Amino acid sequence: MENIQRGSSNFKQSQEKVIDFLLENGLYLSTIILFIGFSVSIPNFFGLETAVNILSSASLKGIIAAGFTIALIAGLIDTSILGVAAFTTILTGVLYQQLGWSLAATLLTVTFAACVCAAINYSLVVLAKVNSFVVTTATGGLFLGAALFFGNGQTIVIVRTEFQDVLMARPLGIPVSVWLLFLVYTVAYIMLNHTKLGAHIYASGANANVARVTGVRTARVTMIAFALCALATALGTVLSTARSGSTLLFGTTFPSFDLAEIFTAVLLGGASLFGGSGKIERNLVAILFLTILVFGLQMLGTKTGIWLVVKGIAFVAAIIFDVIRQRRI
Amino acid sequence: MLQAPEIILETHNLSKSFAAVQAVQEVNWSVPKGQVSALLGDNGAGKSTLVKLVCGAIMPSSGEIWVRGQPARITAPNDALELGIAPVYQDLALIESRNVTQNLFLGGELTHGLFNWFLDHKRMELETQRVLAEIRSRIPSAKEIVRKLSGGQRQAVAIARTLIRGGEIIIMDEPTAALGVEQTREVLNLIQTLKTQGKTVILITHNISHVFEVADQVSVMFRGEMIGTKRTEDTTPDEVIAMIVGAKSDQKTLGSA
Repeated sequence: MENIQRGSSNFKQSQEKVIDFLLENGLYLSTIILFIGFSVSIPNFFGLETAVNILSSASLKGIIAAGFTIALIAGLIDTSILGVAAFTTILTGVLYQQLGWSLAATLLTVTFAACVCAAINYSLVVLAKVNSFVVTTATGGLFLGAALFFGNGQTIVIVRTEFQDVLMARPLGIPVSVWLLFLVYTVAYIMLNHTKLGAHIYASGANANVARVTGVRTARVTMIAFALCALATALGTVLSTARSGSTLLFGTTFPSFDLAEIFTAVLLGGASLFGGSGKIERNLVAILFLTILVFGLQMLGTKTGIWLVVKGIAFVAAIIFDVIRQRRI
Repeated sequence: MLQAPEIILETHNLSKSFAAVQAVQEVNWSVPKGQVSALLGDNGAGKSTLVKLVCGAIMPSSGEIWVRGQPARITAPNDALELGIAPVYQDLALIESRNVTQNLFLGGELTHGLFNWFLDHKRMELETQRVLAEIRSRIPSAKEIVRKLSGGQRQAVAIARTLIRGGEIIIMDEPTAALGVEQTREVLNLIQTLKTQGKTVILITHNISHVFEVADQVSVMFRGEMIGTKRTEDTTPDEVIAMIVGAKSDQKTLGSA
């Protein structure tokens, strides 16, 4: 009897170990399996060109996801990135194309506009003490509306070439956006793991009250997290604007993008909706995973409806994944 | 036993009232250096208020606090911390998902490198190991996540944090309230270790047997007043219980030495 119990507890222990291993490494494994699977089943999939294409396609949303994750770790769900994207792309179009501003002046103004958006979010969350998800859903709508109003509701096509020349350049054969993707993730990784600010971001997200009592300036952390999120969004948006040559972002018919994709990538990457945890480097892998998935399905000639279903499944899986992990820690 | 231990903390006629309620009334209290002083009293007797006054969490209505023989201006928790007065909060104020080192240094991280921007992980870890060894804690590693620690080990982490921040007077509010037998033992041992390290410990508790086990002196509050302070060696649990319930409030016979 005792032996049986011991046997079953041993079995349970090894089962736990397998689950832990999968939670820890499942993302890496599935990315590799997916890549190998497509390489085998699709001719011309395996190669430098596809790799660069995947990276370049992953870069824009990857940069936005980095900012989104930092906010999420700080305990803030910033859905206003949709509005910030719309506002910054229209602003870019109006200033650069319609008013003929220089590229530098345009980018500087866009940066400033992103900071203003972040400041509005910060004020409502910290000063009015409203939940970040609610605040940013409201302000996101506000920014989007402002963008459509500002641009007269029209799509602006960017004809001046300097914009694309700079932002679509390929130093060493690798697109600027991919360089920036790696730069953003490297800086974010160092900031989160090796600076005071990073330690305070994790602590504030995990337990804001305790963080405050022990001397962390949590309001300042909130402000910085919102700012980084808006700035990353603005950067991804400007790159996407350059790529599409218009204010239609990410291949949509709208100056914005699908928030579900960002959520999926971030949750698959291991950040939690509950704040205080997540590793930014895993985010990058999650973004690659999703991009490879969409790329492969596209190359296989799958219908758009199927991608949406696959994306939806990935999103649901990511949420379940998060909940399981939270229960286990 | 020293005849006249140095007094590290004392209050002179300290009072605090909340609206019409006198939470602490004209309290004179002396805490000897390097000893364990217990503070007892029924719920609402004013223990927590008195301690909050000393920690700078609230401001007194009147009276003075003296530290190391000099009047101290304590207007905020940081003032108290600078004088070495360090409270261990009842809920311990730890971040569950962070490790021991990260918790010990939260808000006071050590940095180095370019512009002092980068965390000095190695030095923080060594310091953590040093302090944990000092209080003879059995926490397996400085990198252990707090969520995985037992109640007693968490208490040790919270105390280690006060030591890292230069705490000399460690104030513990009901440290064993939520602990099991074995973990309670761990915390009591910890208190004695702190004493052998020369730290002053103020212990707020309801448990009289703990008082007689670890404390050198015991003070009893009753309805906001300090009704007496005794050396534990000169009193008995029955006498202390009588003081707590207010059955015997003749201050002259119980007056502090």
